[in-house]
Amino acid sequence: MIVKKGSFVIEGLENVQINIGKIGEGLEEKIEGPTPRPEIISLRNWDYRILDRYAPVYTPTSDMCDYCTYGKCDLTGNKEGACGIDLEGQSARQALMTSIMGAACHTAHGRHLLHYLIKKYGEDRLIDVGPSNLKAPLTETIMGIQPQTIGDFLPVLDYIEEQLTQLIAAANTGQEGSARDFESKAFHAGMLDLLGMEVADIIQISCMGLPKSDEKTPMAEIGMGILDSKKPVVICVGHNIAAPAYILDYMDKGGLFDKIEIAGLCCTAHDMTRYSKSAKIIGSMSKELKYIRSGIPDVLVTDEQCVRADILREAKKLHIPVIATNEKITYGLPDRSNDSIDTIIDDLASGKNEGALLLDLEKVGELVPRLAVKMAEIRKAKGITALPDQEDFRKLVAKCTKCLQCTRDCPQSLPISDAMAAAVNGDLAPFEILHDKCVGCGRCDYSCPVGIPVLNVIEKASQQVIREEKGKMRIGRGQIGDPEIREEGRNLVLGTTPGVLAFVGCGNYPDGTKDVYDVVEEMIQRSYIIITSGCAAMDVGMYKDKEGKTLYERYPGRFIKGNLLNTGSCVSNAHIAATTIKVASIFAGRKTKGNWEEIADYVLNRIGAVGIAWGAYSQKAFAIATGCNRLGIPVVAGPHGTKYRRAFIGKPYRKEDWNVLDGRDGSVINVEPAPEHLMITAETKDELMPLLAKLCFRPSDNSLGRAIKLTHYIELSEKYLKKMPDDWHVYVRNEADLPVAKREQLLKLLEEKGWKIDWEKKKITEGPLRKVDVSFQPTNVPRLCKEVKK
Amino acid sequence: MTKKEHVKPLDKTGTKTVEKPVAKPQEKPEAIDTTRQAVPFDTGNIPGPKMARAVMPAVQGKMLAKAKRPLLIVGSQIHEEDVLSRVVAMGQTGLQIAAVGNAYKSLGDKGLDVHYANMHALASYLCDPEWQGLDGKGGYDLVAFFGITYYYASQAISALKNFSKIRVISIDKYYHPNADMSFGNLKKDVFIAALDEVIKELPKR
Ligand code: SF4
Ligand code: SF4
Repeated sequence: MIVKKGSFVIEGLENVQINIGKIGEGLEEKIEGPTPRPEIISLRNWDYRILDRYAPVYTPTSDMCDYCTYGKCDLTGNKEGACGIDLEGQSARQALMTSIMGAACHTAHGRHLLHYLIKKYGEDRLIDVGPSNLKAPLTETIMGIQPQTIGDFLPVLDYIEEQLTQLIAAANTGQEGSARDFESKAFHAGMLDLLGMEVADIIQISCMGLPKSDEKTPMAEIGMGILDSKKPVVICVGHNIAAPAYILDYMDKGGLFDKIEIAGLCCTAHDMTRYSKSAKIIGSMSKELKYIRSGIPDVLVTDEQCVRADILREAKKLHIPVIATNEKITYGLPDRSNDSIDTIIDDLASGKNEGALLLDLEKVGELVPRLAVKMAEIRKAKGITALPDQEDFRKLVAKCTKCLQCTRDCPQSLPISDAMAAAVNGDLAPFEILHDKCVGCGRCDYSCPVGIPVLNVIEKASQQVIREEKGKMRIGRGQIGDPEIREEGRNLVLGTTPGVLAFVGCGNYPDGTKDVYDVVEEMIQRSYIIITSGCAAMDVGMYKDKEGKTLYERYPGRFIKGNLLNTGSCVSNAHIAATTIKVASIFAGRKTKGNWEEIADYVLNRIGAVGIAWGAYSQKAFAIATGCNRLGIPVVAGPHGTKYRRAFIGKPYRKEDWNVLDGRDGSVINVEPAPEHLMITAETKDELMPLLAKLCFRPSDNSLGRAIKLTHYIELSEKYLKKMPDDWHVYVRNEADLPVAKREQLLKLLEEKGWKIDWEKKKITEGPLRKVDVSFQPTNVPRLCKEVKK
Repeated sequence: MTKKEHVKPLDKTGTKTVEKPVAKPQEKPEAIDTTRQAVPFDTGNIPGPKMARAVMPAVQGKMLAKAKRPLLIVGSQIHEEDVLSRVVAMGQTGLQIAAVGNAYKSLGDKGLDVHYANMHALASYLCDPEWQGLDGKGGYDLVAFFGITYYYASQAISALKNFSKIRVISIDKYYHPNADMSFGNLKKDVFIAALDEVIKELPKR
């Protein structure tokens, strides 16, 4: 029975009124581990265990520190600044601050939603995420409670906010000074980030009718070419569904979906499609400026996160009003929350105001569609065109002096002047390539000394390909349900499913969006389970095979090998991390409540899951990665990821780093470097693919699983790097670990390396680091061993 | 000027065609000066007060020749024939090569002392004085590099600059502030000529 908040009177005791206030502690939970509600230092031992093996690698973007007024201090060569911090410490402090920012974003997002949903549905609204007993795996593991209602998340958010305050305090000058402890605190922030995301997504799934662990969600249209620009167009930008939901409701009630186009940019788009089948997706943040510059939107609605800081300036140029709906992004706009809808529309349509801050979401719902209809007429009548016409385009490209200033300012170093030269001769192909690689930042516009609006020129030249930019994305499903875990958990832990690869994060790709598609296609054909979320989930759906089908149309969405799942928006990343907890709990019976270290230890040693943030740009992505690292999940970023300034890279040549304990008796076993790194980058997709295969190795793999993983590692390296990996033999424990098809050939190679082979029995008699032991219980935590050997 | 492989437009069918680079005949400029334009190629890439000294190729070549245990690192931008042939020429002098990114696919069959490495991991290992190198025969005293995605190389070597004692020289087409020495930003023909001058200084095998 759920005891509700409020006042009531018991029959026969009319003079007694019982008031029930906050119920929280009353949850009948049994704490199962030693660290419910961990403080900033509670998991330090676990963090140290990780840091001992995966030492932080710092790649500073700046050798200076200008945090306080002692400085600026030059820390080059790891010198100390005036406060005593060295460059290592400062880099670690930045890692902490980055993680805090990310965690704060998702948590504040969750807080905003919870506030709004409690107001609308009440605290007692039951959590409903689909067919799961383990409804909130991260909440259980971190907080030690099993939430039943959305109100149960109130103390969870209180906890995160309190912890984040402690962590921010540690970053002040004159506080923490050890790089190692900054990293431990960064792990804490990363973990809090995962928790904040879980809260945000579970409550919206429970209250707003978003798909609940549904493997067969419908497809959504996606791309810059999908909207009918003859209709009024509403574009919502950001991450928080609260405001767009009101707009969608209003349009639904008024039967307006045929008359007005509504689509989203960035993760708001995900949640809009999860909320309403009529919503569409333009794409990732990389499309934001490009789409605004297309002039197609008639109204822009912003909420929070991944909204360009210049959105108002850009929109104003094209007479597109901006409706800001969240306290965190207000652009100096007048607060019109208390004004009548008609007056606001009049002021915006007349151009008196370029936008409005509107925190009354009910009003947002009605105002936006009405405004879009009005603006479409006005903008059409004014003949507002954004991109240069043919004649202007010709003149503009001819102006280029090949000074290369744009290339030097471009974060992708794109060869813009080459494309200008080709366009002078009527060849637009180089510009079309640039369009895919360009992340739409607009820096080139500012740099061109002869005033060429470079981004507009790229987009004008690419109109043909933009019109064809139409893809399909399977709508975000939310969590992976318990039944799916039951079916697949064993394969994952034994390695017979070669791994779970989670393609997450933003669109700051080093060489265009197509790389993500290519990598996913290669790995899914090799039976990896592919999970996507956020902007990566969108980009995966942007390309088609020869039959015109996207990957989502080609591969089903169940949590089994060779499937392609989309969990949803940025906050749905929590479910990917939580899946590993579910495997530990459901498949292996590990206790979860307040038991982070044991769960993370299990994940690190047994679950071949890897996150890929190929285009990560934001602090949020870094926080997610850091949280995953604390949970024992390795993450690979694209080359831009080196600008995050910190990675966790294992040293396979230091044998002593790879000692683990056997949980059965506490004996020390020297194992293969698996997983070799916790956070690393790769330069190109060719390098990425074998690296992913390698990072899926785990000490717990059985021979069949190891042979499967080894097959992919070797094949991917041979296919993309044209070489046998140098370290493949390190992962061989006996002949059964060798891929059957290549066994003979590989045995020969091992013999050349000095291993002893019994050729009659086709057995390895000497060479491997250790033997396969199916009962081996790898752990890095001494207290988890049954009998600790002295 | 391009720092990427030249790629034909995407046809959205999931296939990408890579155009074979056409080696243009290089006209050798009379005398090259690699010390001009010594400003970070990415305009914002200003690390701090210590930035690479811009030098002429002979200086880099001599340093490489004199080093006890040098390592050349090359990355994903070396596949075009004119650049690739210079990598091979350097490798043929016995210089050990770390092929990062996807560089190995163009180098593996050339009979060189070449090893695949991940640039980020390599930077980490190079900062460890105990590391015995890619062949297990000992650490390096000097690292030279070129042909790696600009910002990626720049970030990776910032680790060496700040947390190792290894000398780092850039012989890249772009000015690298985090190296000890670097060329300025060069035009392609000057870059190729500069590589040739470096090669001239290397001991013949
Ligand atoms: S808008 Fe595109 S081309 Fe221009 S600087 Fe940014 S990424 Fe480069
Ligand atoms: S900055 Fe302007 S003039 Fe210079 S190369 Fe770029 S487009 Fe041409």
